Amino acid sequence: MPPFRHFAVMVWRVLRRALSRVVPVAVGVVVIVFFLLRLVPGDPARAVLGDTATQESVDALRAQLGLDLPLWKQFVDFVLQLVTRFDTGDSLVYHESTRVLIAERAPLSLGIVAIAVIVTLLVAIPLAVIAASHKDGPLDHLIRVVPTVGLGMPTFWIGLLLIIVFAVTLKWFPVGGVGTGALEPWRSFVLPAIAVSFAAVPPLVRSLRAQLLDVMDADFVTTLRAAHIPERRIQFRHILRNAAVPSLNLFGVNVAYLIGGTLVVEKVFAINGVGMLLFNSISSRDFPVVQGVALYCAIFVVVITLAVDAISAVIDPRLRAAPSHLVTA
Amino acid sequence: MMAARSATRGSAATAEDVDVPRAGYVPFWRRALGSRSFVAGATLFGALLVVALLAPVLAPHDPSTQNLTGGLQTSSADHLLGTDQLGRDILSRLLFAARTDLRIAVTAAAFPFVFGVAVGIIAGFVGGWVDAVVSRVIDTVIAFPFYVIVIALVFAVGVGEPGIYAAFALVGWVGYARVMRASARTLRSAGWVAAARGGGLSTPRVLVRHVLPNVLPQAVVLLMTEILLIMVAVVTLGYLGLGVQPPTPDWGTMIADGQNFITTKWWLSAVPGLAIVYTGISLSLFADGLGDAWRVA
Amino acid sequence: MQSPLIPLRRRALKIGVAVIAAALVLTGCATDASTSSSAESPQAGGTITIGRTASVTSFDVNKEITANNAFAIDKVFESLVSFDSDGKIIPWLASDYTVSDDGLTYVFTLRDGVKFSDGTALTAKDVVFSLERHLKLGADAPLPLDAPITSITAGSDDTSVTILLKSAYTPLLAELASFSNGIYPADFGGKSEEAFFKSPVATGPFVVSEWDTNGDLTFVKNTNYWQPGKPYIDKLVYKLVADDTQLLQQVQAGQLDAIDEVPYSNVTELQNNASTTVVTNKSWEIEQVFFNTKNKYFSDEHVRRAIAQAIDRAGLTQAVTFGTGTVANSLIPPTISYSATDQGYALDYDVTAAKAELAQSAYPDGFAVSLAIKAGNSAVAQEAQIVQEALKQIDITVTIDSLEVATFQEQVYGNLDYDFMINSGQSDYPDPDELVSFQADPEGWSQSYWTSYTNPEVTTLIQQGRVTASGDERQSIYFDIQKILASEVPYIPLYFTSTIKASTSKVHDLTLLPNGSIRFQDAWIEQ
Repeated sequence: MPPFRHFAVMVWRVLRRALSRVVPVAVGVVVIVFFLLRLVPGDPARAVLGDTATQESVDALRAQLGLDLPLWKQFVDFVLQLVTRFDTGDSLVYHESTRVLIAERAPLSLGIVAIAVIVTLLVAIPLAVIAASHKDGPLDHLIRVVPTVGLGMPTFWIGLLLIIVFAVTLKWFPVGGVGTGALEPWRSFVLPAIAVSFAAVPPLVRSLRAQLLDVMDADFVTTLRAAHIPERRIQFRHILRNAAVPSLNLFGVNVAYLIGGTLVVEKVFAINGVGMLLFNSISSRDFPVVQGVALYCAIFVVVITLAVDAISAVIDPRLRAAPSHLVTA
Repeated sequence: MMAARSATRGSAATAEDVDVPRAGYVPFWRRALGSRSFVAGATLFGALLVVALLAPVLAPHDPSTQNLTGGLQTSSADHLLGTDQLGRDILSRLLFAARTDLRIAVTAAAFPFVFGVAVGIIAGFVGGWVDAVVSRVIDTVIAFPFYVIVIALVFAVGVGEPGIYAAFALVGWVGYARVMRASARTLRSAGWVAAARGGGLSTPRVLVRHVLPNVLPQAVVLLMTEILLIMVAVVTLGYLGLGVQPPTPDWGTMIADGQNFITTKWWLSAVPGLAIVYTGISLSLFADGLGDAWRVA
Repeated sequence: MQSPLIPLRRRALKIGVAVIAAALVLTGCATDASTSSSAESPQAGGTITIGRTASVTSFDVNKEITANNAFAIDKVFESLVSFDSDGKIIPWLASDYTVSDDGLTYVFTLRDGVKFSDGTALTAKDVVFSLERHLKLGADAPLPLDAPITSITAGSDDTSVTILLKSAYTPLLAELASFSNGIYPADFGGKSEEAFFKSPVATGPFVVSEWDTNGDLTFVKNTNYWQPGKPYIDKLVYKLVADDTQLLQQVQAGQLDAIDEVPYSNVTELQNNASTTVVTNKSWEIEQVFFNTKNKYFSDEHVRRAIAQAIDRAGLTQAVTFGTGTVANSLIPPTISYSATDQGYALDYDVTAAKAELAQSAYPDGFAVSLAIKAGNSAVAQEAQIVQEALKQIDITVTIDSLEVATFQEQVYGNLDYDFMINSGQSDYPDPDELVSFQADPEGWSQSYWTSYTNPEVTTLIQQGRVTASGDERQSIYFDIQKILASEVPYIPLYFTSTIKASTSKVHDLTLLPNGSIRFQDAWIEQ
């Protein structure tokens, strides 16, 4: 087979698998987001207009939002809006497209997620390597047990502690908000990102350690050892790379967790990102925005999972033909 | 939540261990007591349960009795952990909060456990279009970051306990369903299951009599982790003002109430936080130990 | 302490007259008074960045009422008259005004040399245009011009404005002092209404420079401002920090120059900190317990009186406000004229008397009710818990019903579906008519603050108060109203709140107004 055909076939396979899973999930996401807020008790129109509203203006808003239409018609309109405008309507408070509102704030949230990803990897990989290379030793036990403490620590509480220690007392980082300037925003993201990473590290350490142990026992490692390749080089060049693929998948799923944590921690650090938008919209019952945030977060997670899937397929040829094990284990 | 679900991903693949029933049988308790995690976890968690159940006996004061002129006291013989803004005894509130949060977490974990296990083994065992549909639904729910969907649901259903139960009922089952589905699928092709089916046993009977007992330990281990995660989420919702409402003591609202005083009276927020950390450690160890004992994790 | 929710200020129905003898007593809390004073001479230039928990969403001066918008609008738009930090009515865009003896004709003389920020001069036509638009908005104006106005006309030389009334209306000046009667150029200076309010031009000390409706707002100084040399600062930034603990920590760390909200609990901490300054002023806001008088239990006056005597208002005020609030013994706060807080009308805390009072009611053995509060406000949550515990003493079992703001509005304001609630009443200008009309007029838009409280005698007194000229006669009318309210207890005023702001010690001369706004004309910052 010529190299190009080979590549094209591979791309096609990855793409087909992706589409066969993405399409139903996308449909599911849209349906959930639509019904999510039809559960709201009370009249959203009155909720938005507040206590000074007359019945006429409430009725007018109901009509404007299409709340007076039959449910199926509302759903059709919702989908059409999604397809034509890529959003869930205009914010009832800001009178702006939810897509624009979210896009404006997304960089802040994504900045935190990005740093959280880096922090998580920087902590998890060395720990996993150390644990695996000291299998069943005291160090291994320590590394398996201690980080699980992070699972039981609420992100917001870690955030509070970090503020007190590293911002108020040591003044290494801003207490909150986002500074202006070239590097200042990144400095503002560090503490929130660390807070978010706490719970993401333990599962990654566990999985990576298990994968490393599997690979260490693999035949090719034995061969390499027999060939007197330095142990350090075996560990980093060969074992880690081979263990990376399954952990990459796990990490893809973890991004969803990091996003959720980021939205919560934004409140603690008063960072005006997507999370803050979500909480404000909940206070003001701005339901198109709540829907938009849920929708865009889900889409982002799906895209990340897909990307991880594709990257794994590229790294590890064995996966190209195999049935996907990505989203569903 | 996602993190913990994914933690069990690896273990899902090892579910094959389970289909070798009773080989080299060692009693559960023997293995359990041999696991340091189990002993430590069970002791710590047991202590927490006792404290929660006996809170009315153990608490030195009524958690809601106020002393408007005795607010924000520091530690004393009468109030070991001091008093809060309304002059209530913090230690007593801490103990009663254990009761509240544990009760809510366990209650909220119950339905997703039953439903998730049922859906998971049915989908995995029956396969075909049932499995396809269930898998797509799981994928869809998982696509939403946990806190985003829980907060949106609590918002939709209403703050407080009913909102919490509804939210977890709608999203919590997915973790079990995924893992159970994978395990049941593996079992389907196992020889002895095929034999049972060939022997004329109906699918429901095989599921309940043979598949369920084999996958249940794994689900119970997962349940411990889920209770912890729900607890952390309940506390987080309490902190955000979307969870347990005053005057019911709850660690999350205690942290939130103490937040204004964090630079001057740090213990108001730190102590309830440490209580959650304690719970986390005990449940993690307990889950780990159960896994060791059942050899599922 | 306040949630990041947009604080809803109450809609005002009626208006009030002025002439306030506001003898402001700055008590107890040993703070820095209503102006962060300094002996040094002001430095010009620099930027003051103030953190606020809600963003500015609209500049339509006639259509907004919530604090997040109102206190941005009043930096850009100014009214004919205004009020000072004591709540006293003072001339503003009008340098002088006269009222005819029959109270039907008001003539305002415009101040010389007032220009809009684009350099054009303020004329009487602009005033007529602005006030007439406000009148025409009708129900769309939440703080309307309710005076019985016959006409608003510009004087022949375009420097005076005459307002004619159908009948005497004492609250008119106070009503005109509201930010909602701000003046802008006739015909919006040739722009469309929408375009104008996106980039408004008016006479205020600041001009909108950059504005994100869900984020920060930057004002620059109006170089054409009529007060010579002012404002001192070049820029004023409203930074959105949607969490009051963060506000606190950021001002302590010097990330913010000033903050718009200070949790009661942290006032002392900021005062003791050498790098921060606290500014407080008495406000026009009253924290209260409101009864639904249509409720089975609360329709019984004895029940309401019993509850009033079961709550330790002094203890509550101390525990919740840390001494920043003042125990309320009347509906009208001392910052507004004719407050009866020192007249001894209110029922005192006395559990024995409360039990005796309840014994006279139809429910001597107590009952169970639910107390509605808005979710997310920790001060109110603390108050609710205090009330709950207090009523336990007289065998009334209280469930706290913490409602999302929207649900609260629908259930309480919309359907009157509640037992009793904690909420705050607020005046928007310094005349007692606004508060009593809003809280005791069953025919009014709020149905006696959603309590359905009806007393024809009070209604008559309210009418009289509007048309009676300021003086002893008017005072006795409002004293009578407050006496009846204290005895029949449709609501229990708990405490008068203080407006509290804080800044770093580099910021000087912030002027706090009793409506909760800050005047920045005189403010300056050390460079």
